[in-house]
Amino acid sequence: MKLPTRRQAVIGGGLLAVAAVAALEGPRLLRKRYAPSPYDDLLRLLDDRDADAQLGEAVLADRGDFDADAVAEELRARLAGRPLSDVMREDAQQGRVTEADGWVLPETLALLCALAAKAS
Amino acid sequence: MRAFIDARTVPSGTLLQPDLAIIGGGPVGISLALALANSPIRMVLLESGGMSFDAKTQALYRGSKTGTPYLSLEGSRLRYLGGSTNHWGGWCRPLDEIDFEPRSWLPHSGWPFARKEIARFFPHAQSLCEAGPAIYDRAGLWADGAPIALGEGGVATRWFQFSKTRGGVLPTHFGERYADDLKRIPRLGVYLHANVTGLRLTQDAARLDHLDVATLNGRHFTVKPKIAVVALGAIESARLLLASNDVMATGVGNAHDLVGRFFADHPIPRDTATLVVFGGAVAPYYTDVQTIHGAVMRAGFIPSESYRRAQAAMDSSTTIENKVELDDLGKAALAATAAALGVDASNAQAYSLGCGMEIAPDPERRLTLEGERDALGMPRLKLAMRIADSDFAHFRDTLKELARQLLAARSGMLRLNLKTREEWLAGLDWGNHHMGTARMHVDPRQGVVDANSAVHGISNLFVAGSAVFPTYGAANPTMNLLALTLRLAEHLRVVLR
Repeated sequence: MKLPTRRQAVIGGGLLAVAAVAALEGPRLLRKRYAPSPYDDLLRLLDDRDADAQLGEAVLADRGDFDADAVAEELRARLAGRPLSDVMREDAQQGRVTEADGWVLPETLALLCALAAKAS
Repeated sequence: MRAFIDARTVPSGTLLQPDLAIIGGGPVGISLALALANSPIRMVLLESGGMSFDAKTQALYRGSKTGTPYLSLEGSRLRYLGGSTNHWGGWCRPLDEIDFEPRSWLPHSGWPFARKEIARFFPHAQSLCEAGPAIYDRAGLWADGAPIALGEGGVATRWFQFSKTRGGVLPTHFGERYADDLKRIPRLGVYLHANVTGLRLTQDAARLDHLDVATLNGRHFTVKPKIAVVALGAIESARLLLASNDVMATGVGNAHDLVGRFFADHPIPRDTATLVVFGGAVAPYYTDVQTIHGAVMRAGFIPSESYRRAQAAMDSSTTIENKVELDDLGKAALAATAAALGVDASNAQAYSLGCGMEIAPDPERRLTLEGERDALGMPRLKLAMRIADSDFAHFRDTLKELARQLLAARSGMLRLNLKTREEWLAGLDWGNHHMGTARMHVDPRQGVVDANSAVHGISNLFVAGSAVFPTYGAANPTMNLLALTLRLAEHLRVVLR
């Protein structure tokens, strides 16, 4: 078997290094970046921000007035570090639901989605 | 066995003098005759049609309509022995207690008696419908598959039973099913092709004197009973009362302009909502009938009585119909909601929901006579149909409560598909459940018949069937009107003793 030339070994090593970096850092480097917003602490709770913003547009369409800063403050107080799933369930149990193009959503989720729409 | 009599062969001028004349051979007339079979009461049953559909007879039903889109008057019922059970769907469910209660927030609501007054007749009515053992909301004890989890609240999974199916399709057709039983009743004469064209009162309008009967081949004869029961369905019963205006100018029983008012049916809007079940396909009893513990059953979502009282809500029954695909926004809503609730929705399944709704009593939803006459000279009817925005709003609120309970249980979610009046009307069908035109009330100024179904002021004339329902519920009326008929039979046994 013929050994690779020094030139081939350097190129091959370089490609391996690039592949390793891409595998390790690719998702972070390729992740969609959003402009900073005053609500990033809340929007981090969302799983798919683009899809949630789409839903948020529907929430906003059903709400004539929407004071994003006031809503964000209200949500921070409501969440108070608790898991989102707990607050969602509490919303439903206490009748805090809202509509987005007919979809009945826990109010906290609807407001988070509306903030995502405002921030996008 | 006594053969049925073809009224077209009865000589004109004939006079029949039974104890009881039953006008109409639908489920009410048939059940009334059967219930009195072992009594000494001499009966005649007068049915306009024969044993099967006939276009000329059916055309006697023709009428006109205005207002909210509605079924044609001749298309929503059938005029031959067995009446509209010849095309019913077989759905059975007893009315709830609240359906009988006067409610301050629902004008004109309430029956003259509580549910228990007819509940004792439900087993017999269930038997007449051949709907199997009365299981209803106990079906979950034996059903395969778990019900959809719902959080605490106003809506629950509840159950319908079905009249006997034949080959998996047809429920009990009363004419065909009970024809031989009627022929075995020794003191009953069943007259087919016999149309009652007039209720003739004594001059003081205090009693029914006789009935005019006509056939489409030109025969005319008279029936002079001690008592008569009008059992023609809510549309035709009103027509006969209104058209019999020779002594009472406004029609029999219509001194207070109530006959024909308060017409009602159950609206059936299609695709009212989209249900998404996070865990995947629902148990089969939600989407199709299943045989459970000897009964043919199907589940739906029905508001509880306590919820209806607390929220001033109307009755409804919501059923899961067919699978549907979500659009992009629906997929986004599902993904966002499932993720935020912390549930796995990878197998989620979406369904379209249908429903049957109760509507509020409305005196302006009414039948009146028009100038055109049918082949027998009877004035035809005009229906002024209406449905209020509040009727739709009541049902939408109940759907929203169901949505809230699904989220609270983390089992699913709901989209309310209809919002504007135009959207509700676009997919609106009706149940063919005609009710209310000769409503029951103890006060003659508020009802056509009293608590015993006797026409106010006319002691020997009764109206039976859903025509007398003063408030409607959302339960299918057939089994309930049969229970009411059996109660009337008990009363007539006493009166004719």
